Amino acid sequence: MGPLIPMEIIPGQWNNVIAVLIGMAFGIIMEGSGFSSSRKIVGLFYGYDFTVLRVFFTATVTAAIGILYFDFMGWVDMSMIYIHPTYVTAAIVGGTLMGLGFITGGYCPGTSLVAVGIGKIDAIVFTGGMLIGIFIFSEAFSLFEGVYNGNFLGRVTISDFFGISPTMFVFLFTIAAVMIFYITTLIRRRVKEVNY
Amino acid sequence: MSKTYVILSIVLIGLAFGLILLPETNRTNEIEPEILYKEIIDPSRYLSADLVAERLINEDPSIMLVDVRSYDQYEAYSLPNAVGIPLDEILLPEWEDYFMQEDMDVVLYSNGDVFSDQAWVICTRLGYRNLYVLSGGLNQWFNDIMQPAPPPETAPSEAFDLYSFRRAACFHFGGGSIDMGTSMSDQEPIKLVKREKKVISEGGC
Repeated sequence: MGPLIPMEIIPGQWNNVIAVLIGMAFGIIMEGSGFSSSRKIVGLFYGYDFTVLRVFFTATVTAAIGILYFDFMGWVDMSMIYIHPTYVTAAIVGGTLMGLGFITGGYCPGTSLVAVGIGKIDAIVFTGGMLIGIFIFSEAFSLFEGVYNGNFLGRVTISDFFGISPTMFVFLFTIAAVMIFYITTLIRRRVKEVNY
Repeated sequence: MSKTYVILSIVLIGLAFGLILLPETNRTNEIEPEILYKEIIDPSRYLSADLVAERLINEDPSIMLVDVRSYDQYEAYSLPNAVGIPLDEILLPEWEDYFMQEDMDVVLYSNGDVFSDQAWVICTRLGYRNLYVLSGGLNQWFNDIMQPAPPPETAPSEAFDLYSFRRAACFHFGGGSIDMGTSMSDQEPIKLVKREKKVISEGGC
């Protein structure tokens, strides 16, 4: 839990406690947004419900703007923030597979666990399948290793990659997000209402 | 579309636009004063002349000596394979390659250890790692390695071992003839003579 634990403000034993608390908050917000319903999630694909897209874009934009302001105020050191390394091949292959699983199963890994939490049977089946998939992938990892590590770009951000400043990118991204919100509203009006 | 969403969208775009207007923050990666203080009071950066001599004799590839005295003094005498980087030129970018590496231990030395310590502070502020200072500088080097004083007769055997090491190091670095003298460890260990126990006369009162 940076920066509190590396700065020795609170001891490292709190890591797991904080992880559980954040996890619970995450689960509550997901359930509150309606993400425990597979119909709501696949609504993004069929065009009758754009909640998923809106929630994630709002979260991304809010966090991005907030972090940049925090960095400007000196409350957060952007250079210390963990950036997940980019593996292009794995991202494309994994994204495609995840999208297929998303639309056939109706859940992503996180939402399936939320739905298991409220006792949905399809989510229990989905999670079981997910665990089997994880097991097969882990056992056959040597077969997938080339795909897994292909086209490694290191820890890049989009603004680094295209050589624009992070603030400019976040501004453009925010405009794009608002436009997407508007367009999805228009699509939503044209698609027949689905009751679920 | 509800009014709330329109207002929220405008607020979001306004905040994002504010980001562009923010002035460029001039944040350097210099070391924090607290950390610098902790490193300054930590004496582990001082390497003794014996330690440095031992690594030089063993041809340790991970040690790099940096002479921070002036060029004249560096020309006149320097330790083997030392790099001459005078203190007043230490900020020049051409020396960066010597310091900007993680593999070698950089040992700074001057005649004493004041100037090398100053160089250490500057280099630490510049963010370089693995920096050390030859404790006592070349003066200590001469006292310890080039002209080692024999320990008193009553000194422990470690002192004699150190003395013989210094004599050998002195010879290695080209000073004087070798005269190993006697070291405690060379002497034959004192043999314990086991004596038969006297049979205590039994009886008595």
